[in-house]
Amino acid sequence: MITLTAPAHGDEFSAPTPDELFNLPPIIAGVDWFTKPVLLAILSAILVIGVCWGAFSKPKLVPRGLQNVVEYGYMFVRDQVARPFLGKDSDRFMGLLVTMFFLVLVWNLMGVVPFIQFPVASHIAFPAVLAISVYVLKIYLGVKYQGAGGYFKNMMFPPGLPKPIYLLLSPIEFLSNMIIAPFTHMVRLFANMFAGHMLLAFFSMVGFWFLFEKLTPLGAGVGVLGVVMTIIFTGFEIFIQFLQAFLFAMLASMYIGGSLHAEH
Amino acid sequence: MSAQERRPEEDGRDFADAMWSIPSSLLAGMAIYGGLGWLLDRWLDMSAFFPIGTVLGLVLAGYLAYRKFSR
Repeated sequence: MITLTAPAHGDEFSAPTPDELFNLPPIIAGVDWFTKPVLLAILSAILVIGVCWGAFSKPKLVPRGLQNVVEYGYMFVRDQVARPFLGKDSDRFMGLLVTMFFLVLVWNLMGVVPFIQFPVASHIAFPAVLAISVYVLKIYLGVKYQGAGGYFKNMMFPPGLPKPIYLLLSPIEFLSNMIIAPFTHMVRLFANMFAGHMLLAFFSMVGFWFLFEKLTPLGAGVGVLGVVMTIIFTGFEIFIQFLQAFLFAMLASMYIGGSLHAEH
Repeated sequence: MSAQERRPEEDGRDFADAMWSIPSSLLAGMAIYGGLGWLLDRWLDMSAFFPIGTVLGLVLAGYLAYRKFSR
């Protein structure tokens, strides 16, 4: 596995490039699809399944231990993610939302776990699969609960506008709901994880280069600064990773809620 | 009682709806009318319609957000 000490070229410090950081070789030579993010995605899935299994396979009325912790997470998702948007329909979608929240959270946290240090969602394919699934579900539920015509009518023709203006505004609503919304849904998660990983890699590279590779009296200060920044940004990253997992699940819940009931 | 209980939820939902859908409709407005302007520019061999369309789209999307969420 490639660590953050990607080779710098020659005698000068060079920042790690996206190609070095994200274009990883296959783990087993010859199996091209099996790269580090794929391995981590599988491990994350196993971890989430295992933790939920351990917590809820023999549920107790008075939770203790693992069940207590996971139940706290479940209640967080229910109260902060599901209920504000789904109301009384929350319980039907809790399975999906809890799974999505925990999976994305574990994916993201892989970015700061020592020696693993790769946020899975920094390859856009992973958030894209989740976002497209939510998108398909959103359209399916919209057509099911509002009818094919009704769904698009409610989406493109918000009530209370003068008639001629619909001609101008309906295309905006359509593009915004059908193309931009799912696109930003996946790009928001991807870009945050991508940029966060780049930042962490850059600062740890600065620390490594100026303190270990080329230790000089003048460079040492820069190296120490790099290490300090790495620590600060790791803390910041953990916050962002949690926030992005929350937002991803929240937006999924918002889109589902919008399909179940027409707006206003 | 139940109406009182549901009230903060509804507020929260409306607020979050607005926060998340306004940026994407602003983008969509700029993309659609900017795109139309760009096409007009190419057709007529001019360069004025792309910026006009972009601003028009922004204004229209702003108007849409104002009508949808101001109450």
